Order: sequence, then structure tokens, then C-alpha cells
Amino acid sequence: MNGETVMIRCSTCDDQIDRCEFCERPDCATALCYGCVIEALGQAIRQPHDHGG
Amino acid sequence: MSPRAAWRLESFGFTRVYDYVAGKLDWMAAGLPTEGTNAERPRAGDVARRDVPTCSLDERLGEVRERAEAAGFDACVVVNDERVVLGLLRKKELEADASLPIEAAMRPGPSTFRPFVPIEEMARFLTHHDLANAPITTSDGRLVGLLRRDDAVRAAERLDAEGADRRENEEP
Repeated sequence: MNGETVMIRCSTCDDQIDRCEFCERPDCATALCYGCVIEALGQAIRQPHDHGG
Repeated sequence: MSPRAAWRLESFGFTRVYDYVAGKLDWMAAGLPTEGTNAERPRAGDVARRDVPTCSLDERLGEVRERAEAAGFDACVVVNDERVVLGLLRKKELEADASLPIEAAMRPGPSTFRPFVPIEEMARFLTHHDLANAPITTSDGRLVGLLRRDDAVRAAERLDAEGADRRENEEP
């Protein structure tokens, strides 16, 4: 162990992440970043959303 | 939009109009009532076990494990005095050395999910990511309950079966 963080890619947006934000596993085969998790579960809406403000 | 909508409602003659500044998602995340066709569909907060055992940072793992087992859970949520989630002990963490303080044994800052997430989505994600459970919290981190994968899958299957029945009855 050299203590280095292994980076993986979000399976949706391809951003670099160090763990899946849904299951918290660093080796998740379908890892998701925080933004993609909350959007996939409807916890947030991508801005700007289409109904304006 | 919401302040203008509130003023417009008052112009129609409504007298009890409020602008909930934090927004609709925050309203739903607090478990407050909603209306409409989707309001009756079960969500994560409806299925989450509210009787999940909780513990504080300064307890020892051994006593917490006993409490969780006695309650029939293989998980315990670490909370503060305000019931804000600080950590999570799943099966693996609960099996560690009994003398460990909770702070050393827990998974700190676990991923949490809001109560309004549709149960089908939570069931699908929990299954796909092979996760046994997930803490459900309000927007400000207060524990609502622990959603177990088995409960979520059962609720989603029931919903699916009800939908199939309804479609069958609607067919000419």
C-alpha cells in the first residue's frame, strides 16, 4: 500500500472520482459521481432546467 | 418563479399563500405532504425503517452490536443529539472488535438519500450496486430511517404488480 488514491471514472459523465457515490466502493464497475447520483435519483435537477425561473 | 406565482395566486383571491423559499425538493425531503398523481406512489421515506437502531460517537462497538442484534438489524446509524447522521455501521463494521469506539469503527459520512426518491429507483440502485441498505435523511442531514434493499425490492414489486393489474382492468 502506498496510500495513493486510485481514480476511477463516472460511468455516466466520465468525470474522475475516487469512489462510487452511491455504494461508496472504489472498485464499483458502474461507479457514479455525486452529481450523477443525485440527478439519477431526482434529488436535483440539472441547471438551467427547462421551465425557467 | 415562486414569488411571482405566490403573488399571482393572491391576485386570484387565495388568502393563505406562502412562498417556500427552499423549494419543492426540500419540502418533499422533509417528508411534508404532496398532492398529484405521483403523491400516492411509495417513496424511500415511506418504506425506510424508522425504528433503525442509532448510537452516538462515544459508545463502544460491543454494546451497539448487541443493541442492533436485539432489534433485528445488521446495521446501526451513528447520529448526534440533533439526529444528524454522522456515520453508519453496516454488517462488516459491526463485526469488528467490540472494544472499538464507534468513531473508529464507523463508515464516516455515508451516502444518504432523500425520502422522496421513488422506491422503484432505490430498489434498482440498491440491487445494481449490491448494497444492503441506505440511510434516508432530510436535506439538513436528519435521519428519517434506514431503507433495506429487501423492503425496497418488495415495495417496488408490489407497485409493479398493481400497475399491471390496473392496465389489465383498463384494457377494452
